[in-house]
Amino acid sequence: MEDDMRQMTAEELGALCTNLQKACTKQLRNEEASLFGTLAAYYDKQRTIEKAQDLKTLLAAINTDLSNGFAEASNAAEESNDRGTKRALVWGEKASKLLKALMIRYEKQGSALLENTNIWVCEICGFVYVGDIPPSVCPICKVPSFKIHPIQKEAV
Amino acid sequence: MHAARNTSLCTKDCVCLFVCPTGATDTETGQIDFTKCLDGCRLCVDACPSHAIYLVPSVYPAPQEKSEAVRKSLFALAKSKAGQERLARSLSEASDDPIFKQLMNAVATSNRVLAEDCYREAGYILPQSEAVQLWLHNLLSEHEKDEDFPSDAVKTLLEKL
Ligand code: SF4
Ligand code: SF4
Repeated sequence: MEDDMRQMTAEELGALCTNLQKACTKQLRNEEASLFGTLAAYYDKQRTIEKAQDLKTLLAAINTDLSNGFAEASNAAEESNDRGTKRALVWGEKASKLLKALMIRYEKQGSALLENTNIWVCEICGFVYVGDIPPSVCPICKVPSFKIHPIQKEAV
Repeated sequence: MHAARNTSLCTKDCVCLFVCPTGATDTETGQIDFTKCLDGCRLCVDACPSHAIYLVPSVYPAPQEKSEAVRKSLFALAKSKAGQERLARSLSEASDDPIFKQLMNAVATSNRVLAEDCYREAGYILPQSEAVQLWLHNLLSEHEKDEDFPSDAVKTLLEKL
């Protein structure tokens, strides 16, 4: 096994599982999909909480992706003419820029950002949207809006 | 190849029930019964007015080879996105402001999707692939003594894939 597979965190393993769960759903293999779901749920429980962090840490991480991570991966994809990877990187970079913009807006506006409206996430590409109704097609990946889901306010 | 129905496109006009020679399309789950479906028949695929049925292969071709550099950089990006998912969840859990929680939950969800897409392109697109099988085998031996680990689910996956 590759070294990078040995040192994966619960979130990384969880994402690998939910990716495979979605793949099984696309192949209409519902039983396999739910088994990957069980494995993903195990990793959800293994997640740890990071104490004493703030939005700045999150913003810094996005900025690192935007200044290095995407460029490095794009160069590698360019070299091996890997169009699938280029597609993922174009989508991912757009979604990351929107996440960054959203965090900056929250820093300025605070709770007013979502006071009387909702926030949505595209299950295909990670596009985030603030508003009452999502766009009819995702502006990043062009999927119809039934794949764009609202994130509910939790009762505290 | 057998027929599979995309239930979100199905308009329930049931043409597929009339054309299927084996009754495979008529099930209480809404899905086509793979065990009854005749390999490559496709009568229902062509008959469905809503294009809700398609053929899926029983054996998938091997996924595209990924270069080591692409794989490495996608794993690094996935690590960063998964780290941001954790940060956002941690921030959400530490807060009792419903709006900030909602925002952080959205950020966490988005980052999960971004990490998933990195793994997909890093060579883990196909559940049937050798890379996935190898990984599942390793998980089993790694977690041999871990009672919470869903070993049965992983074993069933290895049998079915
Ligand atoms: S023919 Fe197509 S639309 Fe009609 S019930 Fe069958 S799958 Fe659904
Ligand atoms: S492909 Fe043929 S056998 Fe299979 S479900 Fe459709 S009509 Fe029935």
